Amino acid sequence: MRSVFVRHRWEPYLWILPSILLMLIFVVFPIGIVFRLAFSNISRAGVVGDFIGLRNFQDAVSSAAFPQVMLNTLIWVVSVVGLSTLIGFICAMVLNQTFFGRKIARSIMVFPWAASLVIQASVWNYIIKMEYGNLNNILLNLGFLQDPVNWRISYQVEFIWECAIGIIVTIPFVTFTVLSGLQSIDTAYYEAATVDGAGFWNKLRHVTLPLVKPSLTVSTVLNIIYVFNSFPIIYTITKGAPANKTDTMVTYLYMLAFYDQRKGPATALSVIGFVILCIASGIYMMITMRKEDGGI
Amino acid sequence: MKKFLSIILALTMFLSLAVVSANAEDITLDVIIAQYGPNTQEWFLGKGMDGSNFVEKFEAANPGIKLNLEVVSWNDLYTVVSTRISNNNAPDILNIDVFADYANEGLLMPVSDYCPEELFKDFFPSFIDQSVIDGTCWAVPDLASARALFYNVDLLKEAGVEKAPETWAELEDASQAIIDAYGGDVYPWGIDMTTDEGQAAFAYYTWGNKGGFVDDNGEWALNSDANVEAIEYAIGLVNKGFTNPNPATQTRYDLQDMFAAGKLAMLIAPNQLPTYVADKEGKVNLATAGVPHNEGATSSSVGVMDRIMAFKDDAAPDQAARNEAIGKFLTFFYDPVNYVGWVSMEGFLPAVNSAVGALVESDPSFQAWLDVLGGAKFYPTTKAEWNDVKQGVIDVEQQALTGGNVKELLDALQAKITGK
Amino acid sequence: MKRLPESRSSRMRVLILIALAILLTAAFCSLPFLQFSSQMYVKRSPNTFVGDEKYLSAREAVEAQLETFRAQGIDGVIDEQVIERVNSKNEKTSMIIFTINAANKRSGWSVMTAGLPASRWLILALALGAAAWVLTLISLPPVIGGNVRNAFGIAAFICALASFFLIPIVPLQLNLNLSRAVDLYLAGEEVRGIESLLPALDRFLFGGEAGDQLETMLSALNYSILPALILLLIPAFITICASILGCRRPLKKTLLRVALYVSVILFSLFILYPFFVMFITAFRSNAETTDMHFLHILPVNWVFSNLGDTLDRGVLRYLINSLLIAGGATGIAMLCGIPAAYAMARMDFKGRKIYLGFVIMSQMFSPVVLLVGISRLMNTLHMNDTLAGLMFINAAFNQAFAIWLLRGTFVSISSEMEQAACIDGCSVLGAMLRILLPMAAPGIVTTLIFVFINAWNEYTVSTVLISTATNRPITVGITQFSSFNMIEWQYLFAAALLATVPVVILFMLIEKHLAAGLTAGGVKG
Repeated sequence: MRSVFVRHRWEPYLWILPSILLMLIFVVFPIGIVFRLAFSNISRAGVVGDFIGLRNFQDAVSSAAFPQVMLNTLIWVVSVVGLSTLIGFICAMVLNQTFFGRKIARSIMVFPWAASLVIQASVWNYIIKMEYGNLNNILLNLGFLQDPVNWRISYQVEFIWECAIGIIVTIPFVTFTVLSGLQSIDTAYYEAATVDGAGFWNKLRHVTLPLVKPSLTVSTVLNIIYVFNSFPIIYTITKGAPANKTDTMVTYLYMLAFYDQRKGPATALSVIGFVILCIASGIYMMITMRKEDGGI
Repeated sequence: MKKFLSIILALTMFLSLAVVSANAEDITLDVIIAQYGPNTQEWFLGKGMDGSNFVEKFEAANPGIKLNLEVVSWNDLYTVVSTRISNNNAPDILNIDVFADYANEGLLMPVSDYCPEELFKDFFPSFIDQSVIDGTCWAVPDLASARALFYNVDLLKEAGVEKAPETWAELEDASQAIIDAYGGDVYPWGIDMTTDEGQAAFAYYTWGNKGGFVDDNGEWALNSDANVEAIEYAIGLVNKGFTNPNPATQTRYDLQDMFAAGKLAMLIAPNQLPTYVADKEGKVNLATAGVPHNEGATSSSVGVMDRIMAFKDDAAPDQAARNEAIGKFLTFFYDPVNYVGWVSMEGFLPAVNSAVGALVESDPSFQAWLDVLGGAKFYPTTKAEWNDVKQGVIDVEQQALTGGNVKELLDALQAKITGK
Repeated sequence: MKRLPESRSSRMRVLILIALAILLTAAFCSLPFLQFSSQMYVKRSPNTFVGDEKYLSAREAVEAQLETFRAQGIDGVIDEQVIERVNSKNEKTSMIIFTINAANKRSGWSVMTAGLPASRWLILALALGAAAWVLTLISLPPVIGGNVRNAFGIAAFICALASFFLIPIVPLQLNLNLSRAVDLYLAGEEVRGIESLLPALDRFLFGGEAGDQLETMLSALNYSILPALILLLIPAFITICASILGCRRPLKKTLLRVALYVSVILFSLFILYPFFVMFITAFRSNAETTDMHFLHILPVNWVFSNLGDTLDRGVLRYLINSLLIAGGATGIAMLCGIPAAYAMARMDFKGRKIYLGFVIMSQMFSPVVLLVGISRLMNTLHMNDTLAGLMFINAAFNQAFAIWLLRGTFVSISSEMEQAACIDGCSVLGAMLRILLPMAAPGIVTTLIFVFINAWNEYTVSTVLISTATNRPITVGITQFSSFNMIEWQYLFAAALLATVPVVILFMLIEKHLAAGLTAGGVKG
């Protein structure tokens, strides 16, 4: 059926050529450079030297902070992607109802998506300051608190804040992806299910989820990639302090490259991150797409 | 191939220049300036202090030299510079705090190559010494600040502390008195152990305990007993509840704001503190004193200095003209007409003699600070490992804050630094 | 229409309504008994015992302060609070907190009736009540008829009248705090908040006759905003009750609906909260952004010039740059993305899967990680420090997302018309341009805006690539407000506001298409 559009064998390639060129030059070429740097000796000032094999990788993996950073990255990705998917799903279910003010609610939902992460991170950083932060300000003003609360009592709490902010800014993406899936579901399915006597949970499990799954799968893969590579929230709020205990891989390698001036291990780390991402999203796609030839 | 081409190009340019050297082409200098305050950008690139900015004035006074000047915030400065170096795209002139890495890699030009003799003599010799490695000076100081103890007179008096603490024991007593008096309402002591400037905390305490980054021979001595004691003392202050609650993430901005609001009684801060505090609400009755030290040691004030340096550019067609242009830039920058405005704008301390007169005249308190600066100690920035040490001590402090053993941490750091 | 069994369900409704009514009545009736007072001055005197020398001198200072208040026509009473504790040396110590409260502590009732001229009071209150009445009638479901309807309308009217009395509290609470105003006044500083608001209020309520008395009266009002809020919410509660009672749906469904509204409202507030903070902080004065003593929800003085100041400091230029970069990036991404997505949707070719893998893989490095590589590339291409460079980078890093969205859109549109056109001799390109693209317009708009916003919000790469100040995009330009010495929160947020508002508006405009465009992404291919 598709063959109508293909008159010559080479034609499809012509169509994808511009995008390939664009990505080849502006994405793959830098990736190549990073791969090369990962195996080279880079001086502190940034001068690139000789090929040194895997020494950068050894340096990166053997550093004291590495296990903590990997654990943080895992917590960060799993909690942000997991919870934002869950909450985003619920939001989408709610927004798919018809109720007065739904349009307004949907417009509001868009906000965290539209604003720059750097800006939102700065705002939250201001909000949770103990001394003049806005959260304490409002709670004191409304009489809910008598004394200011230190919202950043320990680094664990700060990391929880960072995850929470990550979740907030990720929710809209999931919500609208799911919402789109929900809207395309034919109401006939639900009617049929109601006739069969299915309750809310049964309908959710047997009608909604299977139909929303395709759109959710791809968005989750993209989400994993974006969240893994997300940088401004943690960098703005804690810069990984104290002692890399709130760093994820991306912020850690940024600090390594530009604060500690150790670009070799930093690029090695980014290659490791790349491999991890490839494997993780590969496995995820294999599991969820086994039966369908869907999405990209 | 590219190298070959550029050599050919350079050669032809050189030849053509040699022929018509009198009619030399414009030289463009890439300059990166660190952003010190809200006015830096205005002064260099915006409307300036008197309607025209530095770049405009410079280009008007020096025809044939163009400035491609960029003001970069400290948050991004290291990122920008090191990325550009990695890509062989270093700026011609750079304003930053560190220089040893660049000098050791042979990226910098010796100051003598471009700095006019007259100007060079004008710098405070003690400042120039901080930029000399093996007898060669690689950078010139652009400005300095001195750190001292600032305290809220009223808060201390109310708490029954009659004079500013001089020793560590007195500091603890004063802190305890403040806690006793105010409960949790006022933090007695401000500590900043953030990733931004934690090395300063290391200097404050170790230098006040006869310790420091290096020993008397100038070798790294990070794990000396004095240092361990000093850091344990500082961490002890935090653990006893004498300090601001989150030293690892509360930056100097936060401390300044708390001090201005009367929530913080004492902190070690740069000499500009009164200017920032004046902008804020509530009048803090502040006074200064020496940085507290341990019994038996002496107080040493902490000086912080930033530098201007010039990078090599082998591809430049006419090295002599380029050097001359850089020299002209420096001469123009340090001309009291411009320099005094620059230094006083953000409340820093000058690095050249010729500016002192005008500055003291405009604000007599400058003299006192210049005296403090005269006796101040500086970071060992001339040592190649300085950047690693800086990040290392910050890491040690933050680890110690979360319960690490100071001795072990410093031993490990010392081994890492000297083992290389 | 189905008729529900009347008995159990409606009895439940009546019970719920009665319970709510009792609660509200209790809240309402308690109002006259609430005590309002205002704090004008606080002094903490540590290490002080009642009666000792320090106490006396502190007391003297406080009394002197009170005299200055009296000289301004505000009477007050000194309140002492003694906090005793054991200090580190195991000695007993005490701190005394002196506060001067306004003398004329009033009951809520007296506040309500204080000095308002009857005619004005009536007009305002009637207007508000009428508004509440109309609103209630409109919001009641049509199934409620006759008497019930009127009863609710009258209830809303009465509540609105009541809440009107407390309205002065709200602007007062939000906008000025007398103690602070007095402090500033004593310090000889200009107090714009109180000076502009009070006369305005005076003119409005009393025709300018109250003068100083108004200030005295207002000084009798306290911090507590909660009672006022509760009262203002009463009409809303009434409406909810009405829908519970009057709606013909099953009770469970009605309750679910109420829960839905409550949760949607709460969640929306939560989402909007950081933006609210950004908004109000953008208009505070520098001193107020880091104020730790006097807390105000809204700025005391709205400093609108913050916006102008940021524009003066180059923000306008940065906004234009951002617009150019984001616009250019979107154009490039679409030019490369549409053909690719078309090929993916309509053509079968060898290496399709490899191409897919390639597209996804290209997203796995964040630009942060690739900074060094990107910067070197730009050097080679002589695109360092150019807007064009950022356009291409942003376009490239958004390719995968764009192709994913576009492909989905194309797949969801039946290819029959294009096939027919192709068979009729139209070229594939022509078929795409003339038939597919117009049909896919909503999806294309969505994609466009996505790419635009991602490019608009990009920060790290721009930091490194752009060196000339006049080439900076807004995200980088904002950093100039957090310099070595201090963070100028008010400018930071004012610039952030300028950067956010256009994008949010843009997003809200296409919100309708968002879901449609995304649908697309998920449809099986």
